[in-house]
Amino acid sequence: MSSATRTEGSTAMGINVGYFAKESVVNFRRNWVMSLGAVITIYLSLLLVGLSIATGIIIDDIVQSVEDKVTIQIFLKDDAPTEDVQALQAQLLGDELVQTVDYVSKEEALDRFKEDMSSSPEILDTLNDNPLPASLDVSLADPRTVQEMVDRISGNELFPKVADRPDNPEESLKYGQQIVDRLFSFTRMVRYVEIAFVGMLALVSLIFINNTIRLAIYARRKEIGIMRLVGASNGFIRTPFLMEGVIQSLVGAVLAILTVTGVQAALIPRLREALPFLPVGLTTGTLVQIAAVLIGASVAIGLAGSGFALRRYLKV
Amino acid sequence: MRYMISMRGVEKFYGADKPALADVNVEIEQGEFVFLVGHSGSGKSTFIKLLLREILPSKGQITVAGQDMLKLKNWKVPYLRRNIGCVFQDFKLLPNKTSYENVAFALEVIGKSKHVIRTQVPEVLRLVGLDEKIDSYPHELSGGEQQRVSIARAFVNRPPLLLADEPTGNLDPATSLGIMSLLNRINKTGTTVLVATHDREMVDSMRKRVIALEGGHVIRDQNRGVYGYGD
Repeated sequence: MSSATRTEGSTAMGINVGYFAKESVVNFRRNWVMSLGAVITIYLSLLLVGLSIATGIIIDDIVQSVEDKVTIQIFLKDDAPTEDVQALQAQLLGDELVQTVDYVSKEEALDRFKEDMSSSPEILDTLNDNPLPASLDVSLADPRTVQEMVDRISGNELFPKVADRPDNPEESLKYGQQIVDRLFSFTRMVRYVEIAFVGMLALVSLIFINNTIRLAIYARRKEIGIMRLVGASNGFIRTPFLMEGVIQSLVGAVLAILTVTGVQAALIPRLREALPFLPVGLTTGTLVQIAAVLIGASVAIGLAGSGFALRRYLKV
Repeated sequence: MRYMISMRGVEKFYGADKPALADVNVEIEQGEFVFLVGHSGSGKSTFIKLLLREILPSKGQITVAGQDMLKLKNWKVPYLRRNIGCVFQDFKLLPNKTSYENVAFALEVIGKSKHVIRTQVPEVLRLVGLDEKIDSYPHELSGGEQQRVSIARAFVNRPPLLLADEPTGNLDPATSLGIMSLLNRINKTGTTVLVATHDREMVDSMRKRVIALEGGHVIRDQNRGVYGYGD
């Protein structure tokens, strides 16, 4: 120790912060294999948390937009009486669940179909007649009421008179509820699997931190013994170990945040290209929120892991 | 506060059968120099551990430096220890630190400022006669010198009480004499000194108060005493 370093930071606070930081760095280097293991497991678990939050948000956005597009199409038979169709349209417009009701004629339906199929014109060549039915497109004020509205339409006495296939009225109704339900049950399952993985990885990170801190305590048992002897407070003895655990998990968190940011920067433009009709994307605000969650989680894991180790291996 | 150490009716059981200490009544005044003698297994270590509050008595009352050991909260124990300097047979020095750094460490970890450390450490090393070896590592020092560093570390904070557990156990007689006269000098500054030892010649030559333990009982407590008769 040179006299120059002795003159720096003459306050008691200055000594403590410098002392704790120095101890943490020394321990990190002394047990670098264990420390690396801890950092990697924390990194993986936080990465998984970050990615699942990000994909969750993206999927929610997509589901939202699909729901927004939910309309109920009532297919009409070709010889449906115009007054019945108009009466049904008027009744539906009077329903409080309904926002708009649009009449789509056979010709319009064909035009739409041609537009959708423009990439494979050979299919259109096989059409010599117009096989598409006219329809009433009902859009709803609240997409969650789709099933209820479908039931009301099926129950309407005009519906069998105009439906494309009165023998099987269900066939004459098309709506997106099934798609939404399937999407939801799929994302719910993915969520459960993710939670299980994150839980396991969090447990492994706790075990790793616990072990690194145990080794650090063992490596420094002489110093600890002397600290106790000369009356260092319990907090003073514990702090470097707690800091070590927190530093390890913060390193893992920073790596996870960088990876999540990198992955979204690389993938989202491609997804947008592949799925131009879906609103794929994450705002900077969302990314900041994810980063905050990961940092918070990492501090909690670090404190818990080293806290366990201190309670078990450091009797003060 | 009159007594530095006071034990009344102290008993300590580790297991169920024989007590490590039984019916101990001892009072040590401020500024006294006391030898605690006895064979291994006589209860010396238990006695010292009770004073440091590493353990609590099974029965009886103990006060050290004005603190009631039974009422002292666990988190306050470190502050008790700042009033008790400790010296051991095996020195307990950190091998990768110099004499200066070993002594400074004791002040550093109780939050003393660099200014205090810079002035007090060289001063106490001078007091123990090691001003020449301030930057030597323990492996470069003789046993006696290492024990002086450990005494410097115990005394640097000027505690009112100094406990020495077999401080000359690893040292030859001539070196031991030097250590004892150093402890005596520290005692002269007003510090209460308690030395646990089985070094018969030392005890006999110093003519200080002697408390003798055997089988957990105080069998003798006399001023200007000697180690014992016969055994």
